[in-house]
Amino acid sequence: MVSDAETIAKGEWYPPHSSGSVPARLLSRGGRLLAVTEEDVALSDSAAGELSFTPRVGSIPRRAVFADGSVFESSENDAIDAFLRGGGRSGWVHRLEEFHPRIFVFAIAVVLLAVGIYRYALPALVEVAVFVTPPVVSEAMSYSALNTLDSTALSASQLDEARQAEIAARFRQVAANAEGGAGRYVLNFRDGGVIGPNAFALPDGNIVITDQLVELAGGDDEMITGVLAHEVGHVEYKHSLRQLYRAAGVAGLVMLIAGDVGSGVEDILTQGGGLLALSYSRSAEAEADRRSVELMRKAGMDTVAIARFFDVMETKLGDHSRTSMLSTHPGSPERKQAILEYDRILRQD
Amino acid sequence: MDNRVSAGSAANAFERARFTGTASEYFGIWIVNVLLTIVTLGIYSAWAKVRRNRYFYGNTVLLGRAFEYHATGKQIFIGRLIVFAFVIVANILAAIHPLFSLVTTVLVLVALPWLIVRGLRFNARVTSYRNVRFDFTGTAGGAFVCVMLGSLVAFLSLGLLAPLASRWLNRYIFNNLRYGNRPFDTDPKVGALYRALLIPALMVVLGLVILAGLVAIAVVGMQANDPGAFEHDAAMLMIVSGMYLVVFGLIIVYGLAGLIYRAAVHNIVWSSTRIDGQHLLRSDLSRARYAWIAISNVVVTMLTLGLMRPWAAVRLARYVAEHTAVRIEGEIGEVFTQFQTTGAAIGAEYMSMEGIDFGF
Repeated sequence: MVSDAETIAKGEWYPPHSSGSVPARLLSRGGRLLAVTEEDVALSDSAAGELSFTPRVGSIPRRAVFADGSVFESSENDAIDAFLRGGGRSGWVHRLEEFHPRIFVFAIAVVLLAVGIYRYALPALVEVAVFVTPPVVSEAMSYSALNTLDSTALSASQLDEARQAEIAARFRQVAANAEGGAGRYVLNFRDGGVIGPNAFALPDGNIVITDQLVELAGGDDEMITGVLAHEVGHVEYKHSLRQLYRAAGVAGLVMLIAGDVGSGVEDILTQGGGLLALSYSRSAEAEADRRSVELMRKAGMDTVAIARFFDVMETKLGDHSRTSMLSTHPGSPERKQAILEYDRILRQD
Repeated sequence: MDNRVSAGSAANAFERARFTGTASEYFGIWIVNVLLTIVTLGIYSAWAKVRRNRYFYGNTVLLGRAFEYHATGKQIFIGRLIVFAFVIVANILAAIHPLFSLVTTVLVLVALPWLIVRGLRFNARVTSYRNVRFDFTGTAGGAFVCVMLGSLVAFLSLGLLAPLASRWLNRYIFNNLRYGNRPFDTDPKVGALYRALLIPALMVVLGLVILAGLVAIAVVGMQANDPGAFEHDAAMLMIVSGMYLVVFGLIIVYGLAGLIYRAAVHNIVWSSTRIDGQHLLRSDLSRARYAWIAISNVVVTMLTLGLMRPWAAVRLARYVAEHTAVRIEGEIGEVFTQFQTTGAAIGAEYMSMEGIDFGF
């Protein structure tokens, strides 16, 4: 009575939750699927709809669970596929995965997609994220960053009131022409401590300058103003927010594509992500440098004053190691060159 | 009847596992995984993980039968979603105020033993061999002592107590592991583990001496040239490149020593593990060969922009499988699954995101 049925595949049959397997065949008969021994003794019997085969992955064995919990396992993947195809069910993912010329098309598609996402989708996403970020986020970030710095590296400025007022007055002159006007930017004086000579901008418009930088400038106040105009540029272009989103985006991209890249490679990719962020920070510096030239020009001050700052850093700061601005703002000679160039172009117009 | 796991004619012989997967077959699975993951903006990665694991488990063959991985894409996806949401919320809170990052860090540390147990149990329960599932019965307290305190002790002792930590960790994992209703047990000897540390420790000491020597030569050379040399850019460049040399040198020395130590511990632990108190496991990885495969895999993967990753993964899986063996003492008999649900994949996904992977 079993012999008139169609044999689907040969394999092993396991009782429910047990390792005691028996060599078996899977049969299809009248809309039901049966597992039978080699001697045609019935082991399990279920309606065809109740049985689902595990999807095909490479050539590993596949399993089908009967209604009673017993399992039929077989490596005869093609035979099972032929049967399933008759019923209109088949694994399209597996067919994509087969080693076929189109797999090379997939490989090229993956590379192109990865490059495309990095070049076009990531910058666009960063822009969107920057656009939708409410000002309260920048304010909260700036507030906590300044608090952290004040409680660790920075301390109160040693400069006297008159000197601070002098610098602040010049700063207001350049900031007046910046986006949002002078009111948007607040100049803070601090003793730099281990940070040394430095100036930095917080996303909400707070700008910090260290006593050490003022000291380094000697009496050259236009040079200090040039540096501060550069920091105003960072605020206008929302560089810190952009960099934050970019770093998050690159990390997400690595996770998205990598999936299974192996532990050693993952570490290297993370380091590589840091290098990419650094190259972005260089282009941000160049952008802020150009903004400094523009703002100084509008304020009627020496447009290339910031270039003198690079000269000072090269001659006086040669011995300061990684904490100086040398490491965060690399390539001073090139930047100086670019500033002079940009100034010349602006003059020609 | 060949329905029982038995030693058959070759009584008391170890039988090696095999890995039957091939690089070309896995390349197809891998590239489609990557492609669909990108196209679905990462959502498919959960299903990709299932296909990848099913391929590797299903091609690991012991005594003529393969393992099977049972987790579903949906389980992994939900686990990832919860972990991802937590990470995002934690990062937003940390950006608002630094104090929040302290709170979330403490929260994770408190929850970590529980996450470790859930992760180990999930991974065990989604693994089967001959229709019988594995299980893990460890407690959160055990995870706290053996995994967290153990790694802290190894770290604070600069690696000198690493063998003790390895012993705690592996005893915790294997003594709580079940194959159906049969328990595993292991008792790696401290002496053997310390002998495993010998070569890696020598490598670290020798590496540090060589690095220190290079730095000393550089400093002396610079001062002999010109006592005030630190003013010049060239000296600056030398200092910076010297720092990079030291940092990369340390990473390479520790990485290599770690690989050698890991292979040796793997051998010792597996070779002292028994199933059901009688069936023996054995592992005989060559430390040098294992380290060579791991390192050359990374190099080849990088040089081919990741396209040789499937080849590298298959190569390592094959090497480990072929150096793992089991000896069945008499008849193993019929093994039964104590059927239990797998629970959520949160613990397993949190750990795999943190790079902690307890595979079987």
